[in-house]
Amino acid sequence: MFTIALKGIRQYFKDRTAVLLSLLLPIVLITIFALMYGGIGKSEKSRPITLLFTDQDNTELSKEVYSTLNEQSGIQLLTTNYDEASKLIKKGKNSAVLVLYKGFQDSVEAGNKIPMELFYDEAKEIEMGLMQQALWSNLFGITMKKGMKGKVNSWIREKNPDLDTTELLDIQAKIDEQFSDFEQSEDSETLEENSNLPMTAIVSEEKNGNLGLIQAIAGVAIMMLLFSVAGSGASLLKEKEDGTFRRLLVAPISPSSILYGKMLSTLFMAILQLTVMFLYSWLVLGLDIFINLPALLLMILVTAIACSSFGIFMASICKSRKQVESLSTLVILVISALGGSMMPLIFMPAIMQKLAVISVNYWAIEGFFDIFWRQLPLSEIYPKLIVLLGIGILFTTISVVSFKRNLLKMV
Amino acid sequence: MLVAKNLYKSYKEVHALNNVSLSVQEGELYGLLGPNGAGKTTTINILTSLLKPNSGEILYHGKSLFENLNQCKKMIGVVPQEIALYEELSAIENLKFWGTLYGIKGKQLQQKTEELLSFLGLSDRKNHKIKTYSGGMKRRINITAALLHDPKIVFMDEPTVGIDPQSRNLIFEVIQELHSRGLTMIYTTHYMEEAERLCDRIGIIDEGKIVAEGSLENLKKASTIKEEIHVKFTNAPKEDLLNINNSFPNQVLVQENQLVLSTSQANTDLPKLIQLCTNANLPLEHLQVKNLSLESIFLELTGKSLRD
Ligand SMILES: Nc1ncnc2c1ncn2[C@@H]1O[C@H](COP(=O)(O)OP(=O)(O)OP(=O)(O)O)[C@@H](O)[C@H]1O
Ligand SMILES: [Mg+2]
Repeated sequence: MFTIALKGIRQYFKDRTAVLLSLLLPIVLITIFALMYGGIGKSEKSRPITLLFTDQDNTELSKEVYSTLNEQSGIQLLTTNYDEASKLIKKGKNSAVLVLYKGFQDSVEAGNKIPMELFYDEAKEIEMGLMQQALWSNLFGITMKKGMKGKVNSWIREKNPDLDTTELLDIQAKIDEQFSDFEQSEDSETLEENSNLPMTAIVSEEKNGNLGLIQAIAGVAIMMLLFSVAGSGASLLKEKEDGTFRRLLVAPISPSSILYGKMLSTLFMAILQLTVMFLYSWLVLGLDIFINLPALLLMILVTAIACSSFGIFMASICKSRKQVESLSTLVILVISALGGSMMPLIFMPAIMQKLAVISVNYWAIEGFFDIFWRQLPLSEIYPKLIVLLGIGILFTTISVVSFKRNLLKMV
Repeated sequence: MLVAKNLYKSYKEVHALNNVSLSVQEGELYGLLGPNGAGKTTTINILTSLLKPNSGEILYHGKSLFENLNQCKKMIGVVPQEIALYEELSAIENLKFWGTLYGIKGKQLQQKTEELLSFLGLSDRKNHKIKTYSGGMKRRINITAALLHDPKIVFMDEPTVGIDPQSRNLIFEVIQELHSRGLTMIYTTHYMEEAERLCDRIGIIDEGKIVAEGSLENLKKASTIKEEIHVKFTNAPKEDLLNINNSFPNQVLVQENQLVLSTSQANTDLPKLIQLCTNANLPLEHLQVKNLSLESIFLELTGKSLRD
């Protein structure tokens, strides 16, 4: 098995064009996509996005929103009125304006639909889309807290109409205390347990690189990886067409070890390719890969396992090399589009976003986002690792079965 | 050395092998001769464990092949019909890879590859990629790859199909050299001359059956035919030639402007043939009585020509 794996690796390195294509092409593509998403740069601090801000409410809460957002490292707020803002946007001077309408605080405290809106330059859709998530999560952080307090307050008033004002203030102070306790406690699960309202994941403030860059790297890396593992899988069928497969079968080794050997060499190449891509992203594009190295290494490993098992799977269900090549190209394009390799998922209709879970790309990209953007600890990334590993095991099992059934019969 | 008994193999509707039995002695070069689709490759595939027969028994040195698979596999060397090598790798890398699969390692492997490469006269090109080799050189490496583990018996499935005459002769020389060293070999072909020239014993296979087996001498002795009359015409319509064919009980091989009549009684058949030709107004160009060839025996046994 190792002999076969080693031979496969040797063959790979002998083919200079293949090596170059599998390493260079992804690098070029990552760079192009990163430029497209405006993602290159050490961090957002160096180039904060100026967001226009129109406050028509002018309350305590709307001011809090202003200050919270302004503290965000990637965003710089500029207060103007709406007319001025829309002019600036139309001229292309600014990308977007966040408008808090009159009644913002009241609605929040009453728990109603919040009157706010983000107007943005259509041409800057990509930039805004990527910012949107960060913006909303911050807004929700503020408004939800207030909304909950408001609900609690009105509930107390309703139940105890003759409550003393000082006592009410006392209760409110207690509630405030509770809330700030929650904020300080890092245990977000307690927070969830104690409130029935859903919480939006709070993204840590210190961003690593930016969304565009991570999207470019993860998206391209997975798609290109799929292409190269499909090629590696196709080499199994090349063995059959060249007759070397017959020779392997008459040797005193078990037929399965031919498959395992091929898997091993494919896995090795997949890991190599991903590693090179992340090293490039670190050295040239300024991604901090050391932010959670153990998680990154694990992600690389399971992604490589999932993808290489996909390549072997394609080879084992197809009858000829031509067939693998055309079928896998088709499948890769479809799952890459679905899984967010070509375009960030947030731009897709909700139904498509739901469909994305069937794609290998989705899980891998989400995993890399967990590491670099959400900066979650390993203990929270593991579901993605398990899904990817599961995909790997599933495809491997199917491949072994159909390898025995198809390939061995066609000597 | 090798005994195969009552092999049956069918693919869905096709009965590829229909009760094939054969045995090969130590040091023997056994030729399996048959037309396209006769079942040669199927037989080889079964004997080398690539295919399982529906029924039948295969013994190597008295040991059942499928019950002692790895042990028997080590005794077997296979030279596939295609060039089954990795084109991107050099000759030496290819040979080392195949050797390693048989558990040969280190010095021993190094020694064996060098020895075989010099035996085949390929030492000076050993580090070049197979891609850069000529057809004949590839063929030789293809054979070498089957010999690394010192097999007891080597199978060659039509190793000369689609090769130029010069390379073919080179391969013959290699085979004869290996034969003289005492290597047991099974060789399939649909070329008469190859079987006649190389093989100690020949099995004639047709439609999944071995229809005759023995040395060339024995096959000739067993045949009812003794001679062949070769006739060449300057110009003869096919119909007329077929008419002549119908006048003889034995098979007549009809080719363009040419026919070969197999006969057990040349002294009566020859005048009869000349008479028929004169009646049909066919201008004779050349006429010769020859000793019996394998081709005629084959024609007699199967009613088929090997070359079509
Ligand atoms: N995989 C298969 N599926 C179905 N039929 C097959 C298969 N392989 C061979 N056959 C049939 O079995 C018969 C014997 O085939 P085989 O390949 O053994 O012939 P052969 O003597 O090697 O012929 P050739 O000289 O063309 O190589 C043929 O009729 C062929 O069509
Ligand atoms: Mg054949």
